[in-house]
Amino acid sequence: MALNLSSQASSEGEDSYAVLPVWRRVAFQVLLLAAVLGAIVVASQILQPRIAAGVGRALSLALAPLPLLLWLLVSVWPEYRASRPRRRLIGVAVLSGLTAAALGLPLIEDFFRIELWLPLAAVFQRIIGYTLTAGMLDVGLKFLVLRHLIYPEALRHRSDAIAYAFASAVGYSFYLNLVYVWRVEPAPEFAAIVVLTNVAVQLASSLFIALGIVESYFSDAMPLVLPINLFVAALTTGLIAPTVSGLMSGPLGIAGSADRPLFALLMLLATLLVTLGIVYFLYSNSERREREAYRSRGVNDGI
Amino acid sequence: MAFDTGRSPAIQITQRQRWSIALSYLLIAIGLALGLNQRDASLNLSSVYRNVEAGITASYPARWLLDESGDYVFRARDMSHRGYQTLIELRTLPVGPDSAERNILDHLSLQRAQVLVDYTVLGYDTYRLPDETWAISMSYSFVARDSSPFLEGVSSIVNGLDILTLRRGQALIITFRADSSIYRRELETLRWFIQNLEF
Repeated sequence: MALNLSSQASSEGEDSYAVLPVWRRVAFQVLLLAAVLGAIVVASQILQPRIAAGVGRALSLALAPLPLLLWLLVSVWPEYRASRPRRRLIGVAVLSGLTAAALGLPLIEDFFRIELWLPLAAVFQRIIGYTLTAGMLDVGLKFLVLRHLIYPEALRHRSDAIAYAFASAVGYSFYLNLVYVWRVEPAPEFAAIVVLTNVAVQLASSLFIALGIVESYFSDAMPLVLPINLFVAALTTGLIAPTVSGLMSGPLGIAGSADRPLFALLMLLATLLVTLGIVYFLYSNSERREREAYRSRGVNDGI
Repeated sequence: MAFDTGRSPAIQITQRQRWSIALSYLLIAIGLALGLNQRDASLNLSSVYRNVEAGITASYPARWLLDESGDYVFRARDMSHRGYQTLIELRTLPVGPDSAERNILDHLSLQRAQVLVDYTVLGYDTYRLPDETWAISMSYSFVARDSSPFLEGVSSIVNGLDILTLRRGQALIITFRADSSIYRRELETLRWFIQNLEF
């Protein structure tokens, strides 16, 4: 086992020991999703097409499951061809979606009733409020799912945590997207913004949860590292959700306020890129440190 | 790039990891409790309304919109609610020494039946005020439509409650209206309002 480990540790490609690479797939999906949804927003702003109500509703409804379908195609399907597949991806996504349906959304709407008081609050209060309500609730539920489905049984490799966290983000955001599009019947460009917002919020928080799990489990970090990561995950929700809605609404004038979906789109693209960049940097850094620690201890460390 | 620690799936989590998980649950519980506290603080924030001329001091939810421009002393509306916005309205009417409370309520009903769609009186009851005196109450319902014909909104059923008391040659009428789907929940706001009303 130790010799085998040594050879693995020195290899540079994840494919070499049959665990599918995660980062490239996550980045590809996020960029593709952002490109498709962004194209819809930009096209609607430039061309301003007249779409029949029925067609618009069908298009909006089709956008809700788009992240899920992409994930199934790009992340889940290739797992079936891998020699060491991540078997619980679909389970994590389904359970995350179910917790969003059973607990997440009902608690936010009927218990915390954030629509009544948070949109009217000052900026700082809004960030704190979203962090402590929607952020903590989403993070708590997704962490519960990950803790009981994958931690520690399904964690064989650091990238497993990222893959499962991404699955929980996709499952959780799918339900939120579906409910919004079904209830509000928005125009396709607004549906695109909401779908991208939900994915960005859930992806950012899930990646920080994964980072916490990676540090806690693979590096056996200090006990405070995981809670701090969960707090940062909740904080990302507190930062992204009110900022996007604030950017969407234009300044109030005599003729009312016009929506500005392009502002929101740019903000979301920046958020996705920055989040992926930060988490990837921290993940790589942690992996490098552990690799160096293993090398310095040699192979006879009993692992 | 990748680095596999090769941990066995059967490996047990360490004591440090157990602490880490326990602290995570604790953080989430504390965070949600703080969120709940912030919600209560925001929802229960109140403003004070004083009208020396009418001799009325009342507290109303700070996030509600106050209006004094109508034929009432004041009206506060919850503008954050979609659909029919919950309102509390206070009006005073001069009354003679022989005026009966029921007559005043019937007069109100006659007026409303002409302007409100499908106005129906649901019943009369008594209401105990904070100073232990009894007022008469009338519950009713009507259908509210969007004021703008260009908005394709669906009509909503509104439940209303009038509480009437006679004092110092004046009738004080507290009117409360809310969408029927949230009426019971919103009644708490009315009770709180009456609890803090000085007349």
